[in-house]
Amino acid sequence: MSSINIAVIVKLEPDFSEGNVSYNPDGTLNRAETKNILGPHSAIAANAAFYSKVKYGAKISVATMGPPMADSILQQAQQICDADDLYLYSDRIFAGADTLATAEVLKSGILKMQEKIDMVFSGHRASDGETGQTGPQTAWKLGMTFLGNVIDYDVNVQNRTVRAKRLIRIQGVYDVLEEVEAPLPVFIAIDPSYKSSFNTVSQRLAYEKYQKEAFQKAQNHKQFLKVFNATDIGADPKMVGIVGSPTIVYKVERIPKGKATRQAEVIDGTNQDDIRKVVAKLRQSLATMVIK
Amino acid sequence: MTEGDFRHAYIIMEQEEGKLLQVSLEMLAEARRLLDEFNKKYSSKEKVVAILLGQNIKQITKTLILHGADTVVYVDSPELRYVRNTIYTKVISQIAQDKEVAMQIEPEYATRFKKPRYMFFAADSIGRHLSATVMAQLESGLASDINRLVIGDIQMTHQSKTGGKPVTYEKTLEMYRPDFSGFLWTTILCLDNLNPAMAKDFHPQSCSIIPGVFEPLQPDPNRQGKDVEFIPKYDVEDLRVRVIDRKIIKSEIDFDSHKAIVSFGRGIKDSPEQNIKIIEDLASELDAEIGITLPLSKRPFTINQAMDSTYLIPDRVIGTSGSKVSPKLYIAAGISGAMQHIVGMKDSEFIIAINPDENAPIKNECDLFIKGRMEDIIPLLIEEIRKQKQVVQA
Repeated sequence: MSSINIAVIVKLEPDFSEGNVSYNPDGTLNRAETKNILGPHSAIAANAAFYSKVKYGAKISVATMGPPMADSILQQAQQICDADDLYLYSDRIFAGADTLATAEVLKSGILKMQEKIDMVFSGHRASDGETGQTGPQTAWKLGMTFLGNVIDYDVNVQNRTVRAKRLIRIQGVYDVLEEVEAPLPVFIAIDPSYKSSFNTVSQRLAYEKYQKEAFQKAQNHKQFLKVFNATDIGADPKMVGIVGSPTIVYKVERIPKGKATRQAEVIDGTNQDDIRKVVAKLRQSLATMVIK
Repeated sequence: MTEGDFRHAYIIMEQEEGKLLQVSLEMLAEARRLLDEFNKKYSSKEKVVAILLGQNIKQITKTLILHGADTVVYVDSPELRYVRNTIYTKVISQIAQDKEVAMQIEPEYATRFKKPRYMFFAADSIGRHLSATVMAQLESGLASDINRLVIGDIQMTHQSKTGGKPVTYEKTLEMYRPDFSGFLWTTILCLDNLNPAMAKDFHPQSCSIIPGVFEPLQPDPNRQGKDVEFIPKYDVEDLRVRVIDRKIIKSEIDFDSHKAIVSFGRGIKDSPEQNIKIIEDLASELDAEIGITLPLSKRPFTINQAMDSTYLIPDRVIGTSGSKVSPKLYIAAGISGAMQHIVGMKDSEFIIAINPDENAPIKNECDLFIKGRMEDIIPLLIEEIRKQKQVVQA
């Protein structure tokens, strides 16, 4: 039996990297032409879980809700965190889910995992939907203590407690670095600035060992994969998919161009005289008038 | 489930050590505007209710009334000094379903009261997570990062929501959410399931509101309102998280102490590393801080690690998902001018845009529009700045 059991929830997202992302002429995302990958925040969550593998020998499971092809992102996550189990929750009745209905599926799935889960990791927010709601809602449904914006954590395996540092941006005031302690189980939404570091030689050796192992496992990821439908995870059909979703997208429109707030003078960038004028104005704008 | 079960707009305030955050007043102002229209249109008397949790906060309830609240429901407790998700979620959810509180707010609506009609949170580090867990507890829907709200009667036929029959959803909150690109608005609705096969109420209709979007009201000394103290029930279990230490830190990116800001967007794409380099040079000539647009914080380019972790980071984002700035000089290089970016920089004193496309929206938001590619223009600017500096020094 492992010291601690971890689940990581991940999401399939459009790949925003240049060359893969495709924009329509009007500046909006062309979803059909854009590739899908393991979301970057999901990758950070997997990385944070891997820290516990290296440090405490944790057992890791990765889960996602998505179409059958989403197993590719479980493979990508496995390569990061050396997961032993990959779970894909896939069912036509999950389609059209908003965050609440997605959280219901993830909760049902996590409760069905072989081991009792001590820690769950999720990304900060998805790059496409950007709501950041699914993590905390899954935590709440699981009855787990939710810690968001976590930039660093350690587990006291003996006492079954977690210590975490959270970065809280208090808008218009200041940022706060908060250190908290909570008993397991906890649900951690990991901050994008999370970086794991391994200080001792034995940790670095373990890191290399598990990384090799992760790579080998991911070569045959299907061997570790379980695809579950709604019945398999005991999800209530009334609570999932479009039926379980309070919200709908009513319409999508282009944001109307605002009225011109300034009258721009248009400058020809190839004209040396014009550039001279620009710099003169620029310097003028910076000069503080001091009247004594 | 009938319409009278849901009343009022409950607005979740945020404060830090007894000091209100600006976004609290912004949300109140928008709620006031919406409910004034609502009450006129539907001849009702639904209220703007501010929910305030914290320690030593009693003295700010008055401020909330002057800024638009009809009722302030507050809980003052040392356990609530800092926001801890579990206890905050429980207390807010209790208040939202409390009939005695509803009685204090408006007796006429209290007997049938079940839950608030609308609920607003701030879309920040605190409200974002809190809104999610409160709605998980109340089993209702949430739209995040909203910058426009409208209340209307919406006719709709929906396979799942209405069982394919046309239905008019009255008093529906249309929640407008700009997408990450800043060019698209998605309207999200939170609707009861009226399909008899799976009827379920989804109230409150709730959202998180982007800070800085709405203007607070001027305090009105004649405004009357009411304070209601709420005594929550909770278990020791709800206090599992212990705050051990709390340090105030300053962001390394300090826009406020610079007279000039040079920002860049996707226009760097043809040669990202070289372009960031020339932007660094320009910024150093002007002693400017460097900003970016939201899409760049998603690290869309493969560039060297040092540059990536210095520049393509959320702390540098200017706009609704980042900082609001107002320097003396703002240079927007390779930025098309999505609304979400404009909101963050429009108060700058003098704005120069560098862009090859004269139809880019940024042209309507700047004082000087230099037509051209940044790789061609910026080196010319740098050269000219150096020349003019020398003249002054000589």
